[in-house]
Amino acid sequence: MAPVPSSSSTQQPINVKLLLIGNSSVGKSSLLLRFSDEQWLPEDESSATIGVDFRVHKMDVNGKKVKLSIWDTAGQERFRTITSSYYRGAQGIILVYDVANRESFEALPRWYSELETYVSSSVVKILVGNKVDKEYSRQVPTTEGQAFATRMNSLFIEASAKTALGVKEIFRELVEGIMDTPELWDSNAKAGQTTAHGNGGVPGGVQLVGGEQHGHSQDGGCAC
Amino acid sequence: MPTELPYAADAEDSLSYDELEVLRLQYQKELSQAHVTIQTKFNFAWGLVKSPLRDHQVEGVRLLQEIYRAEPTRRRECLYYLALGHYKLGNYEEAKRFNSLLMEKEPANLQAQSLNQLIENKVAREGYVGMAIAGGAAAVGAILLAGLIRRATRK
Repeated sequence: MAPVPSSSSTQQPINVKLLLIGNSSVGKSSLLLRFSDEQWLPEDESSATIGVDFRVHKMDVNGKKVKLSIWDTAGQERFRTITSSYYRGAQGIILVYDVANRESFEALPRWYSELETYVSSSVVKILVGNKVDKEYSRQVPTTEGQAFATRMNSLFIEASAKTALGVKEIFRELVEGIMDTPELWDSNAKAGQTTAHGNGGVPGGVQLVGGEQHGHSQDGGCAC
Repeated sequence: MPTELPYAADAEDSLSYDELEVLRLQYQKELSQAHVTIQTKFNFAWGLVKSPLRDHQVEGVRLLQEIYRAEPTRRRECLYYLALGHYKLGNYEEAKRFNSLLMEKEPANLQAQSLNQLIENKVAREGYVGMAIAGGAAAVGAILLAGLIRRATRK
């Protein structure tokens, strides 16, 4: 049989899994709500995410149809073990801090070390300084955010979920980065690296996080 | 750009056996030491509620009820996962009850709203199925009745 020519309109979309992480109250859910629904909730109406929230969004990037599954994780410490189970298989990571909250910026090394634990190093990362609408109370200069992102081998952008500034660009740049890394999504591009629910060299899976971690093992290997 | 409605990812996504075991072992270890932390108990309850197995879901809901009563600071997540657990168990009235308690406190909570929609959809669908079953039963009843009448009239 002759091969069916594939045009972009009939093409199966490429599935991409993205993860939003960062301290609580930096605006992860707000960025997602702005991106997917073009909405914004004032601070007194929005509530802290419970565990994880999830959205699907379709977009075209460089002529390719892409279906994004976006996992919006809770930033609160109490959900850390729970959220760790969602890292597996992510191809793109959005790390968020609040430019008007120094502490959320200083917590970033911890979030990067979570990434080291749970996702493969080829995953594309973008560091987002959110809430630039609060310029008057900024605590993290743009240059400092940019320098840190470069050091952590991440893309960088400043944004505001409130004014929508930079929000679309976060997702576009991240997905373009993923499209430029075929091993992340094209199973033909590189054997031995899976990004689906397999291991793919990724030490994924739920792990106990925080003070509760003592003497458990999930190395598997034994079928006991 | 098209977006699909958000949905409660935890309603369909479950942990692997090994992942749930990690949470179970920690819980049992603390249980044997006679001091279970709320965090450990909550993690395990969450894993159980996510499970596709009914026994797990029942146990998860039981643990969440205990946490809800014992730990006021954890109430909002307990309400959410209690609603989710009851939803998965098919106890839609209970699911609605817990979820609406959460929505009362947080009217703009999108997670609670989308879970509410999930419950309502299921109730509506089961309603149709229920009607279909009732309709089918009525049809079968009519056939049986017709048969009885025929037999009776033949005598």
